[in-house]
Amino acid sequence: MSPRFQMRQAWTIATIEMRRAFFSKRAFWVYLLALFPSVIFIGHGIDSKIRLDRYKSRGVVAPAALDSIRAGMTDQEVIAKLGAASEDDSHTSRKRERTGDDEDGKRKWEEKVTHHRRLAYFDGSRRANFWFEEGILRDSQVGELLNFEEDRSVFAAVFQYFYLRLAIFFGCLGIFMNLFRGEMLDKTLHFWFLAPARREVLLLGKYLAGLVASSVIFTAGALLCFAAMLWPHSPSEVAAYWQGSGMGHTFRYALAAMLGCVGYGSVFLAAGLLLRNPIIPAVVLLTWEGINGFLPDVLQKLSVLYYLQSLCPVPAPTDPGMPALLKLILSPAAPASPWVAVLGLLAVTALVLWAAAQAVKRLEINYSTE
Amino acid sequence: MAVYKRGYQRYQGPVTGHAMRLLAMPRYAWERLMQQRLMIVMLALSCIWPLLCAVFIYISNHTELWSGLGGGVSKMLEINGQFFLIFMNTQATFSVMLAAMAGPGLIAPDLANNALPLYFSRPLTRFDYVLARLTTLVGMLSLVTWVPGLALFFMQVGMAQSGWFGKNWDLGLGILAGFLMWILIVSLVALASSAYVKWKLIAGALILGFFFILAGVAAMINGVFRVDWGSLINPSKAMYSVWCWLMGVETPRGMDVSSCVGVLVGLVFLLGMVLERKLRPVEVIS
Repeated sequence: MSPRFQMRQAWTIATIEMRRAFFSKRAFWVYLLALFPSVIFIGHGIDSKIRLDRYKSRGVVAPAALDSIRAGMTDQEVIAKLGAASEDDSHTSRKRERTGDDEDGKRKWEEKVTHHRRLAYFDGSRRANFWFEEGILRDSQVGELLNFEEDRSVFAAVFQYFYLRLAIFFGCLGIFMNLFRGEMLDKTLHFWFLAPARREVLLLGKYLAGLVASSVIFTAGALLCFAAMLWPHSPSEVAAYWQGSGMGHTFRYALAAMLGCVGYGSVFLAAGLLLRNPIIPAVVLLTWEGINGFLPDVLQKLSVLYYLQSLCPVPAPTDPGMPALLKLILSPAAPASPWVAVLGLLAVTALVLWAAAQAVKRLEINYSTE
Repeated sequence: MAVYKRGYQRYQGPVTGHAMRLLAMPRYAWERLMQQRLMIVMLALSCIWPLLCAVFIYISNHTELWSGLGGGVSKMLEINGQFFLIFMNTQATFSVMLAAMAGPGLIAPDLANNALPLYFSRPLTRFDYVLARLTTLVGMLSLVTWVPGLALFFMQVGMAQSGWFGKNWDLGLGILAGFLMWILIVSLVALASSAYVKWKLIAGALILGFFFILAGVAAMINGVFRVDWGSLINPSKAMYSVWCWLMGVETPRGMDVSSCVGVLVGLVFLLGMVLERKLRPVEVIS
């Protein structure tokens, strides 16, 4: 049998399996995982546009005037400079404070009444909130309603923390484990083994089906999410981004998503053949990938995530709420070059698939133990 | 249809007490779980962190070991709410993994093999069945949560100066209450997953996915909308806030304790609904 003939056999198996991988009821949650971030970004876009229209309708102040406001100014001075606020609300707080003890040793309390006021302004792109206590400016918060750089950084975090570590991980766990272990649970694997094709060809066909399904679903999900992130921003900003690094970034995100499916898919396909309980490899891999950043450089390179993160164009921000001790021991290894990342992942995948092929050749079906 | 002579007579004698009937199921389940090598390995792994914490408490209470290292060390080695909070966080992760291994085998096989009518033909209600399954998990998870937690607390009480217990007795109570709440949530998630998908394999992945993916979704909402309330849909973070309150540590930003409690109560109610809907001794096949 020529390799070409075996490839044709594998593709025939893949087309049959693909229907199951794409359209079965069991695949519904995979779509949910892949598309949910897009829903969140679309929601953010709609919310930003509604707020932008609302703030504009309430009046816009000059950016220079907004920048001239300093802590310690009175509310009247701010109103004199910026005019009437688009939002103006106030409240009074009462707090009991211990002032000391009297001669009898009894505690003395005093009620402290504070008048709070908040003024809000908009300069066309930035929203400013000023908080006053007893008429004096104590705190302020000025931020852009839509910040392109910030949104790109948020997308990088969503892609690396949600897509790569969770969505693609659990999605591949479901899709690729189902290819062999699911058939065993359904007691239908023997039908495949009766087909006149070598077991390695069957493995390749099933892997191809899972790979096409997961790559299409997750790459499309990531690209849709990227488009949803760009949508609310001004056309000029987006056009400048496309003319610059935009296309390259999109390609690298799509490549990382696809290679994530290639890497995790092979691991879970092999795990489905070698182990009866998928929770064990899932827990081990999840833990290994989770502590990746804290491991020595050499060990970091023994994970799928290291190569995928090397392909991402924007580094993901670290969690600001991370304890100081963890920040201290966090030492991400220098990213691999794109070629090394791609070739490294493909090499690992080939090795894992070879191990899976050895396992499938020796596989004997005993449905009663499932 | 022919009616034959009925030779069968229903048992009318005394029945075992209710509590004993309930404990029969956990007794067999624990035995089966303890026969699994993987479960033993996981339980052993879960003991590593409590042992390290015990060493930390020992060092913390023996000033002669670090007296020459400067004043900052004493602050770092202080045993307080923050210390127990870190311990609880780590053990909570192990408890999720244990639940993902032990939980799926509790209900899914009964549903897949139509065994529920056999259970309910005995003097057991659906509530009893759930309670018995819950007891199995509570017993299992207690071994890695509040039992070592309280052991560490009493170790500290024994080694610290006499006034320590008087000042910090609420930490012990916080460990017990906090872990019991967490165990209830994790166990209900495990049972609901096991009842919902029927397949042991998928149920295990669902338990893991529930906690990890909800955490990811919560972080995503917070990041995209620049808010803090997204964390409320993360049961682990909501529980962490309640623990912070119990241990007298500052709660995370944007996490109001009453809202967190509300979310957790809502989650318990929702999981209870899933169990109520799925655990029926009859199945209508359309």
